Amino acid sequence: MKRLSRPGEGEILLLTASRLLDGRIVWLGEGEHWRESIAEATRFTYEDAGAALERALAEAEQKEVVAVYEVVAKDTQPPEPVTTREAIRAHGPSVHPDFSYDHAPVREKESAL
Amino acid sequence: MTQPASRSVGHYQYEERDRAFLQERINEFEGQVRRRLSGELSEEEFKPLRLMNGVYLQLHAYMLRVAIPYGVLDSRQLHKLADVAAKYDRNYGHFTTRQNIQFNWIALKDVPTILRELAEVDMHAIQTSGNCIRNVTSDEFAGAAKDELMDPRIHAEIVRQWSTLHPEFTFLPRKFKIAISGSPEDRVAARFHDIGLLARPSENGPLFRLFVGGGLGRTPVVGQELFDSVKEEDLIATLEAVLRVYNAFGRRDNLYKARIKILVQTIGLEAFRKAVEEELARMDRAAYRLTPEHVAQIRARFALPDLKAPADASDVLEQHKKADPAFARWVASNTHPHQDEGHICAVISLKTPGDIPGDVTSEQMHGLADLAERHSFGEVRVTHLQNLVFGHVRKDQLHELWQGLKALGLAAPNVGLISDIVSCPGLDYCNLANARSLPLAQKLGARFGDAALQAEIGALSIHMSGCINACGHHHVGNIGLLGVDKRGAETYQILLGGDAGENAAIGGILGPSFAEDEAVDAVARIVEFYLGQRQKGETFSAMLKRCGLKAFKEVAYETV
Ligand code: HEM
Ligand code: SF4
Repeated sequence: MKRLSRPGEGEILLLTASRLLDGRIVWLGEGEHWRESIAEATRFTYEDAGAALERALAEAEQKEVVAVYEVVAKDTQPPEPVTTREAIRAHGPSVHPDFSYDHAPVREKESAL
Repeated sequence: MTQPASRSVGHYQYEERDRAFLQERINEFEGQVRRRLSGELSEEEFKPLRLMNGVYLQLHAYMLRVAIPYGVLDSRQLHKLADVAAKYDRNYGHFTTRQNIQFNWIALKDVPTILRELAEVDMHAIQTSGNCIRNVTSDEFAGAAKDELMDPRIHAEIVRQWSTLHPEFTFLPRKFKIAISGSPEDRVAARFHDIGLLARPSENGPLFRLFVGGGLGRTPVVGQELFDSVKEEDLIATLEAVLRVYNAFGRRDNLYKARIKILVQTIGLEAFRKAVEEELARMDRAAYRLTPEHVAQIRARFALPDLKAPADASDVLEQHKKADPAFARWVASNTHPHQDEGHICAVISLKTPGDIPGDVTSEQMHGLADLAERHSFGEVRVTHLQNLVFGHVRKDQLHELWQGLKALGLAAPNVGLISDIVSCPGLDYCNLANARSLPLAQKLGARFGDAALQAEIGALSIHMSGCINACGHHHVGNIGLLGVDKRGAETYQILLGGDAGENAAIGGILGPSFAEDEAVDAVARIVEFYLGQRQKGETFSAMLKRCGLKAFKEVAYETV
């Protein structure tokens, strides 16, 4: 398995995926349910994240998500991804603030797993 | 919505068996999606299947790429695309450099329904992804341009029919792109395709100049001339032979080396030509012979526009131009001469400075479809530079069309000028990107948006890509920009001197990459230098040749 990204000072790891049904970006939250908002994402230390990721990968098919991996984020409220790529995934395209998940109406929640 | 464009011209009319075939393909994919959603198919099993149907997983959702064979749409189809954008996307469609359209906010569960809706107007997503022969692209002024030698669409359609689901070529080592033009001015970037065809008539029927092994991406290569004059009857046999040689020898072990350009480079053009000739000698030529009857049959399925214009159409246009300088400016940059004296080709810029290149809203698509009904026989073409074309507009009605375009916010007078920026979606949407390209395109567009300034600068192309895959053709822009990831930061490399046409050239890299705003300033300094130093009538590429890359480098990095 590929090595985990290592968070720096004041940073944590989150787990993310794309929802199978609609490709919506989701974050692993409480009770190991996939959530739409990054604010609901569980914060992992480097030490905890490996096992959690393995479990999430093993359960991906059953929980109807694809492309599961970890993301380094600042340990803020809500957590904020460190890279531009992950910030764009979390908040939507920078060229269309109106499309961002923070502002756009959340789509019907079919896979409220 | 307006009535179906029964009189629409310019593209091949489907037959019942074409439609039945589409339905079969959709049924098949619908079953696959169902099995994926029920968990019967794993992601690993499903991915190649969705890719064969134009469905990618991107940064925010699935992306659906819809084919527009050789870039020709009718108004009925454009209305349908507008409906899809409104119903299943966020009200937008994005026209691409491969004359396709992409929807960026698609849900997988909706795809079979969308494909059914598209099939109602004879559209599909076949050959838009996967390692097959991709959609054939062609000249946006086909069948209309005054400088055209022969209409390339007939043979584009013949090549499309040959390539669609060719049993031998559905699993090639890598994707394969073919472009065809019938004009002395290469408007399809023929030398940057796996196969580029330039058609011309002769006393003994059409002849095709065939380039092979061109491409951009990680290893940009200018295609080389494989044959100077392929006869019409041998066209399909020759394509078949090239594909067979590629399929037999192309590398499958390394994704980056799998394109035909690498094969041709590795074994050399002579050896490649010899292999193709041997294959031609071996194969059953008669089975692949393209007969004049077959060509005539295909030709008959293209309706021709009934070009009737009043005798004073040209005079009326001149009067309109005199009366309205803004219109005159738009005519100067956004039109191309037509074969018929009373008509003209109009280019609709999808690059309104400050907006996202290639993006069109659902309302704009509906509006354009209505305008096409009124002014261009219900026909719209997509260009490989992410603009649209109305092929046959009456000169005396051009002003009315322009007003309609203005009302839609689509009358930017900048085609071929510096703010006509080609750009891929970059990191705002694309899973493979290193950096964003759209914000930079917007900033550059705004910086050079002033119409008078652009007119003064003259023809100059900026192309940008968010990664080395080069979907925005950055290698062939006079000024190219490439997004690179420098330890987590988005930066931009500048290339100068690219050219996609007759004088095909790959841009030279200027030096270390810039941060976004620095890149905008560097481009501004480069353009200023060009304006200050150019000789009368000197193009950007010509001046670059005269002064050398180093002079531009000093200006860009302000080391002088
Ligand atoms: C957003 C999803 C997209 C993905 C995942 C994608 C992926 C790729 C990849 C992997 C390549 C390189 C292939 C190779 O070298 O073998 C490529 C090339 C290319 N793409 Fe895209 N692309 C995307 C969007 C676009 C768009 C929006 C355009 C048009 C603006 C486009 C036009 C092209 C063209 C023209 C090439 C050919 C470059 C060449 O000649 O090698 N693609 N794309
Ligand atoms: S060039 Fe790269 S970033 Fe741009 S669309 Fe192509 S793959 Fe994506």
